[in-house]
Amino acid sequence: MAYRELINKIFHKGKEKMEDLEVYIENSKEIEIKVFNGEIDKYSISESGGLSLRGTNNGKMGYSYTEKIDESSIDMLINEACENAEYIDSEDEEKIFVGSDDYKEIKFHSEGLSTASIEEKIDLVKKLEIEALSLDKRVTSIQECVYKEFDKSRYIVNTKGIDLSDTLNGAAIYVAVIAKDGEDIKTGMGFRLIKDISQVDYKTIAKEAVHEAISSLGAKPIKSNNYPLVIKNTIFADLLSSFASVFSSDHVQKGMSLLKDKVETKIASPLLTIVDDPDLKDGFMSRCFDDEGTKTTYKKIVDKGVLTTYLYNWKTAKKDNVSSTGNGTRGSYKSSLSISPTNFYIEKGNNTFEELIGSIDNGVYITDVAGLHSGLNPISGDFSLSASGYEIVDGKIQRPINQITIAGNFFEVLNDIDAIGDDLEFGLPSLGYFGSPSIKINSISISGE
Amino acid sequence: MLDKKIIENVLCAALGKGGDFAEIFVEDKYSSSIKLVGGLIENNISGRDYGVGIRIIDKLNCIYAFTNDSTEENLIKVAKEAASALQGASIDLKLNFMKSNVTNYNPIKIMPSSIEKKEKVDLMKKGYEAAKNYDSVISQVAVNYLDEEQNVLIANTEGLMGEDKRVRTRFTVGSVASKDGEMQQGFYGPGASMGFELFNKINVEEVGKEASRIAKTMAYAEHCPSGVMPVIMDNEFGGVLFHEACGHSLEAAFISKGTSVFTDKLGELVASPLLTAIDDGTIPNEWGTTNIDDEGTPTKRNLLIENGVLKSYLIDKLNGRRMNMESTGSGRRQSYKFAPTSRMNNTYIANGESNFDEIISSTENGLYAKKLGGGSVNPATGDFNFAVMEGYLIKNGKILKPVRGATLIGNGLKVLELIDMVGNDLSLGQGMCGADSGTVPAGLGQPPLRVKSLTVGGRKGDE
Repeated sequence: MAYRELINKIFHKGKEKMEDLEVYIENSKEIEIKVFNGEIDKYSISESGGLSLRGTNNGKMGYSYTEKIDESSIDMLINEACENAEYIDSEDEEKIFVGSDDYKEIKFHSEGLSTASIEEKIDLVKKLEIEALSLDKRVTSIQECVYKEFDKSRYIVNTKGIDLSDTLNGAAIYVAVIAKDGEDIKTGMGFRLIKDISQVDYKTIAKEAVHEAISSLGAKPIKSNNYPLVIKNTIFADLLSSFASVFSSDHVQKGMSLLKDKVETKIASPLLTIVDDPDLKDGFMSRCFDDEGTKTTYKKIVDKGVLTTYLYNWKTAKKDNVSSTGNGTRGSYKSSLSISPTNFYIEKGNNTFEELIGSIDNGVYITDVAGLHSGLNPISGDFSLSASGYEIVDGKIQRPINQITIAGNFFEVLNDIDAIGDDLEFGLPSLGYFGSPSIKINSISISGE
Repeated sequence: MLDKKIIENVLCAALGKGGDFAEIFVEDKYSSSIKLVGGLIENNISGRDYGVGIRIIDKLNCIYAFTNDSTEENLIKVAKEAASALQGASIDLKLNFMKSNVTNYNPIKIMPSSIEKKEKVDLMKKGYEAAKNYDSVISQVAVNYLDEEQNVLIANTEGLMGEDKRVRTRFTVGSVASKDGEMQQGFYGPGASMGFELFNKINVEEVGKEASRIAKTMAYAEHCPSGVMPVIMDNEFGGVLFHEACGHSLEAAFISKGTSVFTDKLGELVASPLLTAIDDGTIPNEWGTTNIDDEGTPTKRNLLIENGVLKSYLIDKLNGRRMNMESTGSGRRQSYKFAPTSRMNNTYIANGESNFDEIISSTENGLYAKKLGGGSVNPATGDFNFAVMEGYLIKNGKILKPVRGATLIGNGLKVLELIDMVGNDLSLGQGMCGADSGTVPAGLGQPPLRVKSLTVGGRKGDE
């Protein structure tokens, strides 16, 4: 590894001022291809990264980082980390970790992306755009047609003996189309998360996007009331993602999660099992060790409705007198150590999607929500989200609905799950990788007309 | 920040395979953030972002590449790699950089890096104490302090070379109120394109109290009713209404491709005649102010809508080409990792004639949204949503009681027509706006105003 010499110098010099030190380096190669009207609208390539130093000074942890990874940064890194540690007055013990006894050896890097040529990738996005424009005359333009790929490597080296590295890659392809019928404008989106470019069926992605836009033309609100609801798999995955912080031991310990004191108690319908699975073969958060070098493990966080554990890193585990669950993560080399899920999903249930819809006489099928970053409150569990979808009448999907809000409380929704589909899918990854089947809820408040 | 000769060589390499425009963006940013939870400093991190972005434009196509390694050798390698996406012939470049004189709208009095960390920590603890001691219902308080100094250099093959130093400081308090097993949040986070002198302008204790006041009010609030009703949005962060409902849809990125509801509507009446809206990147020391945009164009005051008539879009260089229009100084990006695109700086609705009491008393039944949270919009349809952080029901022209958990939804074009009262005490708030070119500081604001009817999504049935 090219950084070995630099790291040794940092440790050597750092040891004069601090007790233990750890270097975390992240490097990522990214490709983004955007197509508009058959031409490459944007083509972006990059290779970048950064180095984070953390270290203990009188038992307190200080952090610093740089994107200029060379000797000119050594003094700044050490001085900043050392000074930053001086001001920490949290009593929670935070140490540089000595490492787990053994680690799994699973490779998550896929050749199916790294060996494909850039021409193949460009060709794929272009085909997707042409296909999406060809399916229906009412599709007047393409809002976005994009291929995005990441290839990320991590190195963690510390003075306690940890010396770990891994690589992970993945890509997403998506198209958003605009359909018009007179003054009525609707959009629809289709996407796939991919680990192997040869497996991508662009025709189906285009079809899904066009179907979503066309079938929502003429949408109108529904009368305000409480309705039984089916929420589309990827949308429920987004909702789960937005509330994931409630499972973090850090939030619990700070009194910012309503799941405090709820381990071993029923918090959801017995139908619900939520898994944190770092070993998932095609996961975008798959890893054998977390960002502080703890080995990762498969675990059920909610098992048939019962909360089994919170997610821990080393520091919060110590406080609760348990072991780290291997969920110590850094948003990037610029962030300090926090907690997040790996591949986090709701286990699939026994009902087909048709059965979920078929069981409702008068209700709503939600296919999209907006405002996830603002219209919900992970602390109270309350949410009120702009939504669109279809009316369900006598067990069948009927007219499109938009300009409504669905409002409720996440914890109440978990208890109000009536059925779970067998169609587990993962949402577009933002921070983390979340999956869910389609979910039927007994009753939710809808505001419409 | 980078030698002129190196810049020339890199730009030449970038146009080695054709293209008609190349640009280099160099960024060196130092930032420091401190986090306090429950009275104790829990996190303290500082560091340096450093990198270079190279952009090549060939007619309407854009190639972008970035790297952390700014040695001449590597930059030329990256420029050549980017250029390899084109198949044209090399262009003979003769560059004669003109350093433009720019006005400094953001004079900095005290560089945050000159202040001891202890002083920053003391301010945070003061803010914390004020928030925590506000009321016994307050169960948790988090305080964040952030300062950054971003130095940028932008040069392009048109001969432009510009430099800017952006110093920003922000202080935020989040309070949690717990009552009967439920928790509610309040947040207040003033910031400015200013140095440490921000703390001569704001009182950290008042910031803490304000966050706790909101959390406490919401802890005692009932669920908001659902339905369609008149909504009054207060000044400051109320400006998120225009930002989401209209601002994004005026960005050239959507206009130029015909994917915005405002495409081809210049000169048309698109809003209530009471409405005048402006995007201004030159308001001294304001959160979204920069001297030049991230393409090197000086920022300006752009009149977007005047008395309801659409006057201008927000335009960057590339989308300007597609539209045959000049840049409005609106090309922004989060960092060297993003190609720039059209974005808002400080966007606000201008003062009208009504005063606040008049607006409330002339509203029989409705919702008063005193503090708004964030929101989002789909520019193709204009459908927007945003959250109400602190809301009150209005009955018979009087503010009746606090309500929580409301979301407001609507359609941009329609809501602008439905504004029927505009107040006279404009003030600005600060937000972080995320879009295609990353997350950038954006100022927003308005006087209090009334929308005749809007869908309010709450958990309670009609009242």
